Amino acid sequence: MTRNAGIVSRGCAGVIDLLVVSVALAAIYVGWVLVRLGFSPRAFSFPAPSVVFSTIGFFLTATVYLAGCWAVSGRTVGAVIMGIRVVDRGEGRLKSVVAVLRALACVVFPIGLAWAAIDRQRRSAQDILLGTRVVYDRALES
Amino acid sequence: MPTLLKNPVLLAAAGAGKIVADGAASAYRTAIRIPVVGDRIDQGMMALTRRGEDVISPVRALIAAVAVQIVDDVLAQLDLTTLVRERVDIDAVVRDIDIDAIIARIDLIGLADQVIDGVDLPKIIRESTTSVTAEVMTDVRTQGERADDMVSGLVDRVLGRTPDRG
Repeated sequence: MTRNAGIVSRGCAGVIDLLVVSVALAAIYVGWVLVRLGFSPRAFSFPAPSVVFSTIGFFLTATVYLAGCWAVSGRTVGAVIMGIRVVDRGEGRLKSVVAVLRALACVVFPIGLAWAAIDRQRRSAQDILLGTRVVYDRALES
Repeated sequence: MPTLLKNPVLLAAAGAGKIVADGAASAYRTAIRIPVVGDRIDQGMMALTRRGEDVISPVRALIAAVAVQIVDDVLAQLDLTTLVRERVDIDAVVRDIDIDAIIARIDLIGLADQVIDGVDLPKIIRESTTSVTAEVMTDVRTQGERADDMVSGLVDRVLGRTPDRG
């Protein structure tokens, strides 16, 4: 049985994923600016999205990114760099519904990850809730 | 001078030959001055000279061929490399060579291009980059895992648990 990853690897992966989502958001913003400029070049001004809009945009992007990565391969960019993978109880890939729920839980309640430092089996609050695990995955190194 | 050429018998023979040749030349010069007979002698001499030339040509060719053969045989017997090493001051020869002039005649850029064409630089860069990336990734993961274990150990000690990880 593969070992569960601890708080440091998971925390680092989380920070890297946060950066990825930020870069994606910036890219979306630049794309939006270019589209507006393309359609109305005369009346162009830089869009200033409200805090609520930005927050919803961030949550949505993060949820889609995390759920997509976990459902497809179990690995986000941060997970690939840190050599970890999210799996279900049978060490298989997450079901799409579970992936979406886990992504939502992580985005809305990120502090739940901290429980991995205290739990004997290194499970976060989301892991306990959805029966998932985060394991070391060194398959790419061989 | 080689010893052979100092041999007294040989020198005496050469002296005798010289006297005979000189004598014959004086006799010839005197004879061609005699009226009537002189002209005949001169004509006869010229005819003899022409025939002599006809005879000498093949002989010269033969001598040349023999000389070439002898030189070949001598060279075959000699170890020229050793001879050059012992007799020639190679350092002095090399010192006099104008290396700048030689380099100026070489198309250095063309040569460099040829060398670079022969080396698969993109492949080398690709391989080194891949190996460096793989090493960095392994390092980061190993450090992360070690830090995980450290934190777990610390939390276990603080909470007074015995380490038991899944």
